[in-house]
Amino acid sequence: MERKQSRSRSAEQPPIPLTARVLSFFLDWSIWGYIAYGTVYLLNHYWYVAYIDWYGRLTLPWWGWPVVVIATFELALLSHSFGHSLGMRAMGLMPAAEGLDRPALRKRRLRHFLASHISIMPLGIGVWASPSEPWHERLSGLRLVRLPQREEWITPPPRWYRTEWGIMTLAILGLTVTLGWHVTGIHLRVLIAGAARPARLWQGLTHPDFTFLIYSDPWLNDSIVGALIESIFMALLATIFGAGIAFVLSFFGARNIMAGSLPGLIVYGLTRGVFNIFRSIESILWALIFAVWVGWGPFAGTLALFIHTIAALGKLYSEQTEHIDPGPLEAIAATGGSRIEVIRYGVVPQIVPPFLAFTLYRWDINVRMATVVALVGGGGIGRLFFYYKDQLDWAKVGAIIVAIGLVVWLLDYISGRVREKIV
Amino acid sequence: MPHLAIDHLTKIYERGKVLALDDVSFSVDKGEFLVLIGLSGSGKSTLLRCINRLIEPTSGRVFLDGTELTALPQRELRRWRRKIGMIFQQFNLVKRSTVLANVLAGRLGYVPTARTLLGRFPREDLERARRALERVGLLEKMFVRADQLSGGQQQRVGIARALMQEPELLLADEPVSALDPATSHSILKYLEQMNRQDGVTVLCALHFLSLARRYGTRIIALKGGRIVFEGSPSEIDDAKFKEIYGEEAEQVEVR
Repeated sequence: MERKQSRSRSAEQPPIPLTARVLSFFLDWSIWGYIAYGTVYLLNHYWYVAYIDWYGRLTLPWWGWPVVVIATFELALLSHSFGHSLGMRAMGLMPAAEGLDRPALRKRRLRHFLASHISIMPLGIGVWASPSEPWHERLSGLRLVRLPQREEWITPPPRWYRTEWGIMTLAILGLTVTLGWHVTGIHLRVLIAGAARPARLWQGLTHPDFTFLIYSDPWLNDSIVGALIESIFMALLATIFGAGIAFVLSFFGARNIMAGSLPGLIVYGLTRGVFNIFRSIESILWALIFAVWVGWGPFAGTLALFIHTIAALGKLYSEQTEHIDPGPLEAIAATGGSRIEVIRYGVVPQIVPPFLAFTLYRWDINVRMATVVALVGGGGIGRLFFYYKDQLDWAKVGAIIVAIGLVVWLLDYISGRVREKIV
Repeated sequence: MPHLAIDHLTKIYERGKVLALDDVSFSVDKGEFLVLIGLSGSGKSTLLRCINRLIEPTSGRVFLDGTELTALPQRELRRWRRKIGMIFQQFNLVKRSTVLANVLAGRLGYVPTARTLLGRFPREDLERARRALERVGLLEKMFVRADQLSGGQQQRVGIARALMQEPELLLADEPVSALDPATSHSILKYLEQMNRQDGVTVLCALHFLSLARRYGTRIIALKGGRIVFEGSPSEIDDAKFKEIYGEEAEQVEVR
C-alpha cells in the first residue's frame, strides 16, 4: 500500500457522497455472501451431502443463518479496513494512506476495523450521524478518498492483480466457473464416452436423401424446394411489412427528432420501450401465440417474424436516425420548411441507404428464423425438418440441412454484395 | 425604418450557463453588406441563428421590415423565413441527395406541404433551379450526388439553394471558413453579386479581417457576446484589431 502514498498530488477533495460509501460496503458484503454460498455449495458437493429436508441440501439449522450473515459482515469489514476492496473500487474510492509506514498503517487499520463495530454494525449509526467523516474514520484516522483520475497520477499504480480488488475479482471469477461447472452438469468423461452414440445420426446426415427434393412427400404433401420457397416468402413478407411499419415508428423512437418537448420525449420513451419489450420476446414465442390465434401454418410463422422484425428494425432504424448529420435539418428549417418537410428532405435522404442495408440483413435473419418457428407450428421448411426429425429419418433431415445451408449462404452472399453497393 | 433591427438581444445557453450574446443591439439598412467579425465563440453564429430563430433568444427582439420575428408563432415564422436565405460553414447539404434536390429544398417554404412530400415541385420551380444553378456555374452537376462535389462547389449549391428562396436578407455563417483562399473569393463574389445586383441585404460572419475589409460595407465586431466595434472597414486600425482579437493576434492576409 505504500506505493499508493504518492499516487496523486493531494488536492482539496469534495466529500464522498453517502450513497457511494453505503453502496461500496454493501457490495463487499454481498460479495462475501456469494463466496459463502459458493463455498457451502461446493463443500456439500464434494464432502458431505446432508439431506436435512426432502427438498434441499443447503438447509442450515435455524441459528445458521444469523451466523452466516454476521460472518460475512465481519469479512466485509475486514476487507474494508485492510485494503482496497472491490466494493470501494467499484464506487471509485480508495483508502488514503499518505505518508505512513507499515506498522503505523497496520495500527490504523486495526483501529478502523474495531471502530467499525460500533460505527457500522448498529445499523450504520456512525455513518448516518456524520456522513462526511463517519465515526470509524474519525477514530482511526484512516479515511476513504476518491480514486484519482488518470491525469492526476504521478507514479504508476500497482498492478491490478496485486491489489485487493484484483485478487477479489479473480476469486469471484474462479468461484463462479467452479459453481457453474456443477450447476450446468458439465461432465467431460460423458462427452468422450458418448461420442459413438449418435453414429446413426451422423451416418444419415452425411448421406442426405434427396428423394423429396422436388417431388412431394405424400405424407406431408410438400417437397423440400416447395417448403423452402414457402419459408423464403414468409421471411420476405414479414420483412417488407415489418420494415414499413418500423420505418414510420422509428421516427418516434429517435431522440433527436422527438426532443424539444415533454410529450415528444414521452412518446420517444414509450416507442423505445415497446421496441425493447417486443424484441426481447423471441420469434418462437410469437409463433406459439399466433399458431393458436390463426391456426398452424405459414401465416402464423409470418406474423411471428413480422412482429419481431418491427421491433428489431425499429430499434436499428431509430439509432441510425439519431446519428444523422444535423446540418441539413437546420438548413431546411431555415428555408421555411415545416417539421414534416425537415424530416422528408433533411432526415429521410440521409437514412434510406442504411435502412435498406439493415432491411436486407433482416431478411437474411428472417429466413434463418423461418426454419425455427416451424417448431411450434409456423410452417415452411421447418415443418419438414421437425417431421423427419421425429421420424428419426436422419438422411432426409440431412438433405434439408444441406438445402437450408445453401439458401442461407446464397442469400447472405447476395445481400452482402447489395449492402456494399448501397452504403 | 431600418430593414433589420436587433434590439437588446441576449442568449444564455441553459446547458453550461454560457452567455453567448450579451445585450446586442444594432440595425441594418436595405442593401448593406454587413460583416460580423470576432474570434471563435464570440457569438457570431448564435447571433445569425437568433435572427431566423434557428436558436431561440433568451431575451430581446428582432425586427424585419418592422415585423417582430421574435413574437411570431411557428407557422407565421416559417412564412417569414422564406425571405431569409442562409448559407453555412459546413454547407449543410444533404450529401446523399442530388444537387437538384438540394437546390429545390430552397422552395419548401413556397410549395404546399402535400406536394413537397410527394417530391412534386411545380415546373417553374424546376426552371428556377436551373437558372440558379446556371448562375453559380453548376448546371452540368444537376443530377450529381452532393457528396461528389468539392467544398467550393458544395457551397455554391448552398448559394443556389438560398437563391431559390428569392431572399431579401441573406445570413452567411462563416461561408468560407472550410475553403481555401482562392475559393473563398469566388464564393464571396457570388454574395457580393447578390448584394449589388439583386439588392439582397447580406449579414456575413467572417474570420479574416482582410476579407471583411474587401467585401464589407460595414463591420461589426463581437467579443464575448458583446459588440466591441461598429463602423466602416477603414476605421479598424492596429489598436482596434488588438482589442477585437486579443494582444497575441497577428493580422493574416488572405488574397
